[in-house]
Amino acid sequence: MNKSIKLLAVAALALPLMATTSFARDQIQIVGSSTVFPFSSLVAEKFGKSSSFNTPVVESTGTGGGMKLFCSGIGEGHPDISNASRRIKSSELEACLAAGINPIEIKVGYDGIVLANSVDAPAFELTKQQIFLALAAKVPGPDGKLIDNPNMTWSDIDASLPDVKIEVLGPPPTSGTRDAFVELAMEGGAKKFESLAALRKEDKKKFQAVAHSLREDGAFIEAGENDNLIVQKLKANPAALGIFGFSFLDQNEDSIKGAIINGAAPDFDNIADGSYGISRALYYYVKKEHMDIIPGLKEYNEEFLSSKAMGEDGYLLEKGLIPLTEAELAEVVTGLTEMKTVSLK
Amino acid sequence: MTNLRAAHIKKRYAAERRFKMYGLLAIMFALGFLAIMLVTITFRALPAFSQTYVKVDIEFSENVIDPDGAREKVQIAKADFQKIVRDGIYALFPEVTNRKEKRKLKKLISSEAGYHIARVLLADDQPDFEFIGTKQSVWVKSSDDIDSFIKGLIRRDVDESRRRVNDQQIGWVDQLMADGRIEKRFNWDFFKFGDSRSPEDAGIRGAVVGSFFTLIITLLLSFPLGVLAAVYLEEYSKPSKMTAFIEVNINNLAAVPSIVFGLLGLALFLNFFGMPRSAPLVGGMVLSLMTLPTIIITTRAALKSVPPSIREAALGIGASKMQTVLHHVLPLAMPGALTGAIIGMARALGETAPLLMIGMVAFIVDVPTGFTDPSTVLPVQIYIWADSPERAFEAKMSAAILVLLFFLVIMNAIAVLLRRRYERRW
Amino acid sequence: MSYLTLFAFLICTIIIGYFIGNRRAVGMRPAVKSKLPENKLHSLPGFHGTYVALWCGIPSLLLLFAWLFLEPSILSAMLGNALGDAGIGLSQDQLELLKGSIRRAAQNSQNPIDDTLLPVVESYKNIVNSTGIGGMVVIGCGAIIGLYFSQKKIAQRFAARHRVEKIFSIIMLLSSLVAVLTTFGVVVSLIFETIRFFGMVSFTEFLFGLHWSPQIALRDDQVASSGSFGAVPIFAGTLLITAIAMVIAVPIGLFSAIYMSEYASPRFRSWAKPLLEILAGIPTVVYGFFAALSVAPMLRNWGVDFGLEISSESALAAGVVMGVMIIPFVSSLSDDVINAVPQSLRDGSYALGATRGETIKLVLLPAALPGIVSSVLLATSRAIGETMIVVMAAGLAANLTANPFQAVTTVTVQILTLLVGDQEFDSPKTLAAFALGFVLFIITLCLNILALKIVNKYREKYD
Repeated sequence: MNKSIKLLAVAALALPLMATTSFARDQIQIVGSSTVFPFSSLVAEKFGKSSSFNTPVVESTGTGGGMKLFCSGIGEGHPDISNASRRIKSSELEACLAAGINPIEIKVGYDGIVLANSVDAPAFELTKQQIFLALAAKVPGPDGKLIDNPNMTWSDIDASLPDVKIEVLGPPPTSGTRDAFVELAMEGGAKKFESLAALRKEDKKKFQAVAHSLREDGAFIEAGENDNLIVQKLKANPAALGIFGFSFLDQNEDSIKGAIINGAAPDFDNIADGSYGISRALYYYVKKEHMDIIPGLKEYNEEFLSSKAMGEDGYLLEKGLIPLTEAELAEVVTGLTEMKTVSLK
Repeated sequence: MTNLRAAHIKKRYAAERRFKMYGLLAIMFALGFLAIMLVTITFRALPAFSQTYVKVDIEFSENVIDPDGAREKVQIAKADFQKIVRDGIYALFPEVTNRKEKRKLKKLISSEAGYHIARVLLADDQPDFEFIGTKQSVWVKSSDDIDSFIKGLIRRDVDESRRRVNDQQIGWVDQLMADGRIEKRFNWDFFKFGDSRSPEDAGIRGAVVGSFFTLIITLLLSFPLGVLAAVYLEEYSKPSKMTAFIEVNINNLAAVPSIVFGLLGLALFLNFFGMPRSAPLVGGMVLSLMTLPTIIITTRAALKSVPPSIREAALGIGASKMQTVLHHVLPLAMPGALTGAIIGMARALGETAPLLMIGMVAFIVDVPTGFTDPSTVLPVQIYIWADSPERAFEAKMSAAILVLLFFLVIMNAIAVLLRRRYERRW
Repeated sequence: MSYLTLFAFLICTIIIGYFIGNRRAVGMRPAVKSKLPENKLHSLPGFHGTYVALWCGIPSLLLLFAWLFLEPSILSAMLGNALGDAGIGLSQDQLELLKGSIRRAAQNSQNPIDDTLLPVVESYKNIVNSTGIGGMVVIGCGAIIGLYFSQKKIAQRFAARHRVEKIFSIIMLLSSLVAVLTTFGVVVSLIFETIRFFGMVSFTEFLFGLHWSPQIALRDDQVASSGSFGAVPIFAGTLLITAIAMVIAVPIGLFSAIYMSEYASPRFRSWAKPLLEILAGIPTVVYGFFAALSVAPMLRNWGVDFGLEISSESALAAGVVMGVMIIPFVSSLSDDVINAVPQSLRDGSYALGATRGETIKLVLLPAALPGIVSSVLLATSRAIGETMIVVMAAGLAANLTANPFQAVTTVTVQILTLLVGDQEFDSPKTLAAFALGFVLFIITLCLNILALKIVNKYREKYD
């Protein structure tokens, strides 16, 4: 034993030598949103395979954590690209600019947000008002005053809906998916109520506070960011509905089905042409300062926006990314070639 | 009187049997749980070990591969090999002309097939370009959906709208089967490749190598440090405020959520020392900070249980403190220290959360070759696959778990052998 | 690679140093055998050898590490000089980027670089080589100087053993200080963000508030709906799940340990123990899936059968699975300590007519108590710090309840979700993660101090 301990000790001492100090990074480093992660890692892989550059390293850190890393400085110790499932915030941009970073914004497409349940359960056809009535913390009562949400089953909301307990699994408040869902579905539904519409004219902040608060009495269950887990839980529990990204519905058609919202089924075409109203834009930000320095960074951006990726038959679309319209894409491409950076308003 | 005593003894024996029973039941419960998990995982993992191949007749037409006839490797490598594979599959079904149907047909084969053909053909530094202009039968990987269909994971009898493979595609597959153009092979690529976003191409190699590097660092740092610290605290230090402080600190570190160690690693190793992100070196250091308390605590418990008479005897015949400890006490405490190492390393092997902060929860295709190359580890790979929308990753995930457990069993076996050499009763 | 050569050189010097010291000491052994202490070597020759080896190794290795740490900045400064005019007029960041591309070009000639900079790349390569050689020479000399002076000190009455032991005990002390430094590091990496958090959210609300709901704005143009940061439900949830886990793990683990060490045949034990240890090594992600997809639905269905309302994210499911995971912590460690109780105690007890069970309960367990307690404490710690199982199985609903059938959330779940969220990193939402970590740290610290007091009070030494 003594011998092996001595050997171990010698090996332990040799460790710091491995940290080759004059380290120079020669692959692209990408951080950020877990929603953009599947798409950007796909591009990274194809890019690495079809070019002479190293395959970029793509991390999934969440948008906020990614932005924090992204805006912390220029140079090899800091990532080149940050994926985001929302636009950069002004405070983040300030931090970036203060560190001498000029980010270029690239909008890559949309992600549909679906409400789905097990195929063994009854199909849902909902309006946004009904979603609001099911999930809001406070709803307008019979006299128009706000009361705590009394609806316990879907049939409480509308007799045509199935008589099952309201049980919706969804993302936590820290998630961009949740944010978009609240903004588009809940707020969209809230606007349709007269009393709330009046409130909106009167006091927009108060209206938003009502529209954006999800109930916390157990009908809405925060289930974390792992969309696959939500899908599995839906399979195990046919009474529940779940809120998650479109690509997961796309891959699991055999076991779950999407609810029709405001008359539009959640499928690729409906989301792309906007008739299915709940989707959010995805972005990434790239450092202008790194463009000519980090090998392959320019080419990676070109690959992302190429027709191979984003075209009608593009590989990103096959994986469920909802594409930009042609005009939008053209604008993004010019933005990239002109290196148009984001600036504070 | 004797009756009473006999009854009493009977009662005691009954209690004795019950007591033994409880012990056996406890072990059986734990082992049963382990067995259930292992069986489930193995069953789920089976599909990942085979891969469906489709035989396609490919025409390596010069127009596509080398339009200017220069025969330059760099240029040819950039050619659209996927297109010639696509043309190959279209040629098998000349009756399909409609664009939409062609798109469905194209989806029978892996979108990475062209890349692999190019890789094989251009493997040499100076490849001969004889294949250009020829027509060859090549086995290419099927797409993940077709693969799942062949393996029975996508069932024929469910409604078409609820399948990822439609009736027409099934027809094509049936025809290919009848022609002997479909074959299932052992999926060696799973052990040869790094990660990929295409399930049929995704492999475990990168993560295995990454885990290996990371754990070497963890073991090298945490075991010697942990044992030395334990010896100091248990054998050398006199009870004082200082040692009590250290002891409380160590116990407390064991309860710190692992992700917090990640925050520490980010602040200390990456931001302060400027070490590279996503590197096994940093990962191993963070994990060793995490395992250190486990090893110290278990080694101390083992040292505590070495009878004082051993020490007294050694000191009595004139051994110094260090000789007593190194020659007599520590070898007797080694089984305990090794148990600590096993459990600590097992935890380090399965840990994901702290690695998130130091950039190891990442998509990395290239297999790492050193301690500072970007890499990921097995549990992270499992987590990433578990989080991927593609269904075929489910089996890959279970297979990766099996690989991880294999790793674990080997590691444990080594430690158990060592432990057995030192174990004794006195 | 040159560093590995240097390292090998150092190791060789250390080994040579050992033998030189050893031989010198042997040579000084007095010819006359005598019982008088002044006629004997003070220490065994091996200690003299070790003394030389330590003096040869420690300073030079320290030098080496210092060099490794300093080299990048030295090289960077020299590169700045070599850049000369090319670096003038650039900002600090631009300069760093330029240096980066020069380094890349020096590493691999395929990397693109401006032609005007090629001479700089060449001179940078020279700088790297010459500084590397310079550093290595200095370090190598350090080792040899150490060797020379320490071996001169060797004398018949030289107290090599005392010095060696002193050095070793210092090394051991330093090792145990690593834990303290880690604690310090943990505190430092949490405290700044925690202070910022308490600048935004009141301390009392966080510590005593009963409502946890960080539903606050994600984007600029939004308004907060409700943001309350009462952490009591989260700590209560952690406590509940940990308690459930311990209810599973302690009895099962302890009985397993007793069975393995006292009843089972050596063959059975040699298989069962490592098998149980596999439980500790299954990735927690796997346990998480198992808890969320198998155990939780099963419990819910049982609940329906028995007319109980069991949530699909019940604390019970997460707790039970976590309990199974930490069984080996209790079983293996307790088995080791029970096994280490001297056989004489058992023999004594049997001789008095006690059954095995009675011996275990009345003799072995009390004797092994300190070890068992520390194993249970370790298992508890592990349960408190566990993340992935609860992230998947327990969910995020911050209910304040002691009912194991309801959903609760834990500190670790919240920390993870808050840290990887899409919100801005400096918002109170993310900072709350740091505060949670910090407060948990303080709480476990208090519990540990308490536990230490209790353990010390009951600690006994048997032989």
